[in-house]
Amino acid sequence: MNLEALEPQARDIIRRYDQRRAAVLPLLWLVQENFGYVSSEAEFWVGRLVGIAVSHVREVVSFYTMYRTQPAGRRELRVCTSLPCVLRGAEGVLGRLKQRLSIGPGETTPGGELTLTEVECLCACEIAPMAQLDEQFVGPLDGASLEALVREALRDPKASGQIQEPQPFIDTSGPVLSTRFKDPEGTWLDAYVADQGYVAAKKALSMTPAQIIDEVLRANLRGLGGAGFPTGRKWSFIPKDNPKPKYLVVNADEGEPGTFKDRYILERDPHALLEGMLIAAYTIGSHKAYVYIRGEYFRPAKRFQRAVDEAYARGWLGKNIQGSGFDLDVVVHRGAGAYICGEETALLSSLEGGKGFPKLKPPFPAISGLFQCPTIVNNVETLACVPFILREGAERFAALGTPKQGGTRLFSVSGHVNRPGLYEAPVGVTLREMIDKHAGGVRGGRRIKAVIPGGISAKVLTADEIDVKMDFDSLMAAGTMAGSAGVIVMDDTTSMVEALQSAVKFFAHESCGQCSPCREGTGWVNRIMHRIVEGQGRLQDLDDLLGIARAMEGKTICVFADAAAWPIQSYITKFRAEFEEFIRTGRRVPQEVAECRP
Amino acid sequence: MPTLTIDGRQIESPEGSTVIQAAEKLGVFVPRYCYHPGLSIAGNCRICLVEVEKNPKLQIACNTPVAEGMVVHTKSAKVEEGRRSVLEFLLANHPLDCPVCDQSGECDLQNFYMNFGLYDPRFREQKVKKKKAVAVGPHVMLDQERCILCSRCERFTDEISKTGEFGIFQRGDRAQVGLYPGQQLDNRYSANVVDICPVGALTERDFRFKARVWYLSSAPTVCNGCAQGCNVDIHYVLDRPHLNDGARILRLKPRYNEHVNQWWMCDEGRYGFGWVDKGRLKKVRHQGRDATWEQAIAAIAAELDQIRQNGTGSTLGVMASTQLTNEELFLVREIFQGVLGARVAVSGPRPPGDSDDFLIKADKNPNTHGAALVGLSDHSAPTSASIIDDAVQGRLEALWVFGHDLTTLADEKTLEELSRRLRLFVFSGTNDNPTVRWSHWVLPTSAYVEKDGTFVNSRGRVQRIGVAFPPLPNSREDWSVLLEIARQLNHPLAWRNPQEIFQAMAQTLAPFAGLTYDALASQGAGAATP
Repeated sequence: MNLEALEPQARDIIRRYDQRRAAVLPLLWLVQENFGYVSSEAEFWVGRLVGIAVSHVREVVSFYTMYRTQPAGRRELRVCTSLPCVLRGAEGVLGRLKQRLSIGPGETTPGGELTLTEVECLCACEIAPMAQLDEQFVGPLDGASLEALVREALRDPKASGQIQEPQPFIDTSGPVLSTRFKDPEGTWLDAYVADQGYVAAKKALSMTPAQIIDEVLRANLRGLGGAGFPTGRKWSFIPKDNPKPKYLVVNADEGEPGTFKDRYILERDPHALLEGMLIAAYTIGSHKAYVYIRGEYFRPAKRFQRAVDEAYARGWLGKNIQGSGFDLDVVVHRGAGAYICGEETALLSSLEGGKGFPKLKPPFPAISGLFQCPTIVNNVETLACVPFILREGAERFAALGTPKQGGTRLFSVSGHVNRPGLYEAPVGVTLREMIDKHAGGVRGGRRIKAVIPGGISAKVLTADEIDVKMDFDSLMAAGTMAGSAGVIVMDDTTSMVEALQSAVKFFAHESCGQCSPCREGTGWVNRIMHRIVEGQGRLQDLDDLLGIARAMEGKTICVFADAAAWPIQSYITKFRAEFEEFIRTGRRVPQEVAECRP
Repeated sequence: MPTLTIDGRQIESPEGSTVIQAAEKLGVFVPRYCYHPGLSIAGNCRICLVEVEKNPKLQIACNTPVAEGMVVHTKSAKVEEGRRSVLEFLLANHPLDCPVCDQSGECDLQNFYMNFGLYDPRFREQKVKKKKAVAVGPHVMLDQERCILCSRCERFTDEISKTGEFGIFQRGDRAQVGLYPGQQLDNRYSANVVDICPVGALTERDFRFKARVWYLSSAPTVCNGCAQGCNVDIHYVLDRPHLNDGARILRLKPRYNEHVNQWWMCDEGRYGFGWVDKGRLKKVRHQGRDATWEQAIAAIAAELDQIRQNGTGSTLGVMASTQLTNEELFLVREIFQGVLGARVAVSGPRPPGDSDDFLIKADKNPNTHGAALVGLSDHSAPTSASIIDDAVQGRLEALWVFGHDLTTLADEKTLEELSRRLRLFVFSGTNDNPTVRWSHWVLPTSAYVEKDGTFVNSRGRVQRIGVAFPPLPNSREDWSVLLEIARQLNHPLAWRNPQEIFQAMAQTLAPFAGLTYDALASQGAGAATP
């Protein structure tokens, strides 16, 4: 392993960051891309380069799922087994792959061709059931496409052919976010500029930060990562008299099962994000922005980097942008497989080169965030709305939404619908409209059993609870949350016991392990659910699950534990009879639908 | 300074301090695992949850800054329920192997569970298996299953020893504390992680299974391993000789002193106590035969009296030791210099070693500074080497050696010759050494943990060493030997014990002016600087 040869590249990487340690993840990626895995020698090398103990390098390597410490197969096939894929047959996919390849997850074919890995949500639920072959997403995996995938996966990568690109339903009707989603190859600078691109940025650079904040506040733009905090207010928290540098950090760590919106912005309309970033950075007085993209998003990261390069070349990034005197540098940073890094302070810990541990608050990031400097973390989609607001006016954006939340948002619809896909709609669209009108209704004319309205963390709604508007406040009033607007639809063939097991498996896999209630609680409920599904359940388990969920709530550094508790509470409370019947009889779904299960 | 109310009582606490600190000032104990006042705040164990009015969620006391008018409850039903939940989670994967765990009896998982726990556990699943009894270094044993992942040890090696050995690897309930494969926890402060581990995950290899902690007695003293004078507690057993081959000291633990060692001590000091129970001199000997203290004191005093009568004090050489207390050195000065006019050298029996910028000092003797303050090591004072030189040159008739090993200064043949030539050759000390066989009289004296007195550390802090347990039978404290010699020399001194000697020192020696044992208390006091 000739690490010395990588040193020039390593130095370039380190130079991008304001602190050396922040280069840990990209340096590990550099090693893995060159040698296929991260050896012990490489861990020492990285530790030396950034000045940290090798134990802390190992902490990072072991925390993220994508780093390998052993050589693996020539190619890697990651099979998603999260709920949206489970609903569309992921178990069968994994089963057939195991049979076809004669290996299990975590193993490599005897000839060293392929390593099979079972993973949690890759956020491509529109093509569920799906998998990722090296860097490429493939799906939906039915019989024929699965066989094609296996053949491709076993071939020498140098001689590889092309796997057919999936063609999911992607809305392009706009008006705010999806108008430039038409070209699967992406909208690049010339086309973007021709479509009124960077008009808003130009305008913003002639405004004062206070005017921009006022505009964004009047637009009622709320944080679309899931928390729904008013964006203008967040920006206003940046202290004006703090002499430290300010940072804009973009949360592109899309990971909430059932959500795939940010990927389309990164891949098909990256300049919309860049323009929003430019406006936000100018507003908060930041000259350096980091974009944290989840590790599995290889192509989105490459596409976005291409947009960044274009913007530098054309004077939309760098020094003295368009003669305005404003400078902005953008660094594209990649995660390495950890859902928790979508939590904004975990994202900052990760960006600083550590494990994705959420940070204690206070202090809040706006006061002391990245590298202990004032920091604003915004979601991709949130920032992509900003150019529209400045170009078309706050009033127009606000008018699209409800009185307290302006605009539209991108709804990721997955599960048992006829047209799983990405749909832009005003935030006040009802859940029923989203399912019936946009996503084409439930497959096979079946009845809805349950719907998760905002990503797997959101409490589940029953069929008669879906006439609800999907803005933050309406869904909160309905006892759930808008979250990331990942709509997961379950028809009456769904076993809620299995659905919950999938959800708790996800949270047990993704808990960072920092706070005791979450670390122990997620593992505990996972083992109980596993036992129930294996037919070893007791009726007492249901009350125990509810008790554990309650005990996990509100006691941890971040809201992950709460998010892990909500599905348990809502599934068991709303479908208790089904859980009890399962425990008593072992029947996975109510008898009347069991026979007609596809 | 903000004023807040904790459990109905008001307290002022400085801006920037936290609720747990304010509660501590009030004497309200908030349970904690990850919180340690000497380390950064981690906030991960969640056991210190308290209720802060106007806040819907429980807050962790360790990271909640105090604020004016804040009202905190540490014992409300909501708090107790929260703690119970946290404890239930912490025990979920804990092996509950208390009967074979060395931490039993001093385990905060046990203690808090007895106080706040849920007595009817719900956990029925298979526990996560991790590694047990892994020797991670020369002094520390790791049990990953008992670990509650509070990260104190990791923060210690990051922030205090700055050696970075510990890490917490993996995530979720697979998370485990450990070292990078192949590495050792071999920094010079390694065993501190055992002290701060709130559970039985890190135990001391040296102490493991020697005694249940409830058999231990504890006494405060000061480490005599170097000139830093780290405050320690001695843990000992007197009534169960079967536990530790009769050795009384089982272990040392650092004792907090803000000015000296905070919460810490080095491994060298921690494991330097073996000599107290091993290789001790147990009998008064004269020319190879057993003798009594009465015979010894009478005979030695008679010889010394002769010197006094002859006015030949300069033929008496004394090699005092910086292992002696200030009080004993003061008596050496009074009797040998004052009454007898002897040539008195003072030096450390232990040779200098290495040092660092934290607690370890090159001077491996505890009271070098004290000897100077007592006035025994000014420019006119002879060196130990010159005393030996005087003896070799035949300029001495008598020699008293306090614990030194003269073979570091002269070869055995020279000592043999001295033994023959000198009229009086006294060795007083705690442990056997090669000098003992050449001395005429061997006086077994008490170890520092067996006697009262004070040391002055290298930074001028006067610290009382206390008495952990009585001297070995038939051994005596140096100060009591010296007082008896003075009496037999017909020069009785009025003091009956170290405290009274110290009072006299405070009256006559400027550096000790104004100090008393009461004023020194448990944390010591700075010597007056001229």
